[in-house]
Amino acid sequence: MALIELNGVTKYYEMGDQVVKALDGIDIDVEKNDYLAFIGSSGSGKSTMLNILGCLDKPSSGQYHLNGKNVESLDANELSEIRNLEIGFIFQSFNLLPRATALGNVMQPLVYRSIGHRKRKEMAMESLERVGLGDRVDHLPNQLSGGQRQRVAIARALVTHPSILLADEPTGNLDSQTTIEIMQLFDELHAEGHTLIVVTHEDEIAQHCRRVVEMKDGRVFNDSTTSSAAVTS
Amino acid sequence: MLFSLIESSRSALASIIAHGLRSFLTTLGIVIGVASVIAVISVTQGMSSFIGDTFASLGSNSLTIQSYTPFEDQMKGIRARLTPEDMELIERRAEGIASITPVLFANRASQIKFGSQTAFSRIMGTTYAFQDVSQSYMSLGRFIAQSDNLTRRRVVIIGDKVRENLNMPDNPVNEYVDIGGEWFKIVGLMEAKGEIMGQSQDDIVLMPYNTMRSLQGNQARTDIQIQLSLSESAVLENVTAQLTTLLRNAHDLDSDEDDDFQIQTAEQLMETFDTVINMVTIVIGGIVSISLLVGGIGIMNIMLVSVTERTREIGICKAIGAKRHHILMQFLIEALLLSLLGGLIGLAIGYGLGTLISSSIPSFPPASIPLWSVALALGFSGFVGVLFGILPAAKAANLDPIDALRYE
Repeated sequence: MALIELNGVTKYYEMGDQVVKALDGIDIDVEKNDYLAFIGSSGSGKSTMLNILGCLDKPSSGQYHLNGKNVESLDANELSEIRNLEIGFIFQSFNLLPRATALGNVMQPLVYRSIGHRKRKEMAMESLERVGLGDRVDHLPNQLSGGQRQRVAIARALVTHPSILLADEPTGNLDSQTTIEIMQLFDELHAEGHTLIVVTHEDEIAQHCRRVVEMKDGRVFNDSTTSSAAVTS
Repeated sequence: MLFSLIESSRSALASIIAHGLRSFLTTLGIVIGVASVIAVISVTQGMSSFIGDTFASLGSNSLTIQSYTPFEDQMKGIRARLTPEDMELIERRAEGIASITPVLFANRASQIKFGSQTAFSRIMGTTYAFQDVSQSYMSLGRFIAQSDNLTRRRVVIIGDKVRENLNMPDNPVNEYVDIGGEWFKIVGLMEAKGEIMGQSQDDIVLMPYNTMRSLQGNQARTDIQIQLSLSESAVLENVTAQLTTLLRNAHDLDSDEDDDFQIQTAEQLMETFDTVINMVTIVIGGIVSISLLVGGIGIMNIMLVSVTERTREIGICKAIGAKRHHILMQFLIEALLLSLLGGLIGLAIGYGLGTLISSSIPSFPPASIPLWSVALALGFSGFVGVLFGILPAAKAANLDPIDALRYE
């Protein structure tokens, strides 16, 4: 059984008296340790795709099984729990808590799992060290560079040992050098066995991925798998 | 549950500290409200407990009967009187009375001289039974004896304040003073009783009742006070009713006429004071609790602003797994902590204010804060915090994670 199974997933939005089909019948499976990119122009439905995959939103129709669980039947609190247990988010704008330190940000998801302070700190430190920020743990987000902030966000996503890492334009706010560093980190995480799903409109980012799904008008336009991930220079 | 309570308090406290000035201004309404409640309560309660203590020392089972003339009648020149005959009647006919004594007041404050010193004091004529009725004790010498009264002996008992005012030696017994041109021998010094409402209980001169009457020239229109104490088994209400009947008959009052006398108990007096003070407490307390309400609205206002301001943060928290109750709890506890902190600060300020007020007015009793008022103030401010925190907290908890994340 695949890690993620989407069967005939649609998502409609009502805009006044018009119905917008953001997703229009998606069938897709994602295996464990996949390294997948959703690409497409804006309005192609890839952001909606990310919201559905990330359990931030529920499909209008169709079925979404994550790790064997049918997401459709869950309420808001159960969705929160799924997000906490199964999904690590990495956002374009980092989305760190501005008043918490790097360590505090990474510890935050564990608060919702009722893990004690000492254990939280231990796990968060481990995670921060993994992304190379072991010496920046007491800095506030605004004292960190963009690349460092994104590393904190990746550490926060990793700290819960999620089934999938969901990245939404992870390098959209970063310069090219930092982009390379972050993508290198992604490659490493994939090599370590993590499942990564990246939403992007940049081909260079997509080239890192093993599988590229191109979306257009709420449908899967093209789904191609390369034999191995492109090697970064 | 406890875990998330601790975590919520931790982050709420961090957020309150992060917005130090704003938090302080937000909670100012509560601070002022609680401070004024506590100040008012501490002053009035201090007064009330002091009055209670004082009246308890007066003897709670004693009665005072005095004549009473309504103001309109006074204007017509009518004066009600209690006469020595009234007292004899009571002595003879009333039951349940342990001791009874007439008290005759001098018409005006009288001048007392000792050597070159002059002082004014309240002079009362009474009998040996007064000691029993008024619970007065002698620190030196003796009280008025029955024989003093019968032979109209020119002796006086003085209060400690009088001794002080006249610059007398510590032991004034056997000294002579001049009262209204007559010489009196001091035979006793009363134990100091302190003050009631700023009036000294020791600025007093007692002389035998008959001596006093003879000094006043045995006027026919003598108006006396009668003080009596009840025997152990007597019921206050019964005795009062009996006395009323006796006196009404003696004064030939028709059933539609009001009493021309008043029967007062120390307890009654105390209750009157207590009622007045409690009324003042309630009224002022009611007025200032409006400021608590206003304070609560202030907190709600700022909490709503804070929720809007932190919409994105809430979205982030929800994305990484915060459930509804995590967010609700965080904002609710923040509101609760804000108002409780305000309550605590208000408590301290109110107590300081109360102490300042009571100590700046001379002979005013010290402020006292009963525990219930502390509990009330903190309980009320906590209640205000929760009440006005619910709306913003619910608003935060119900935010949709996608909308919240997108919020700029």
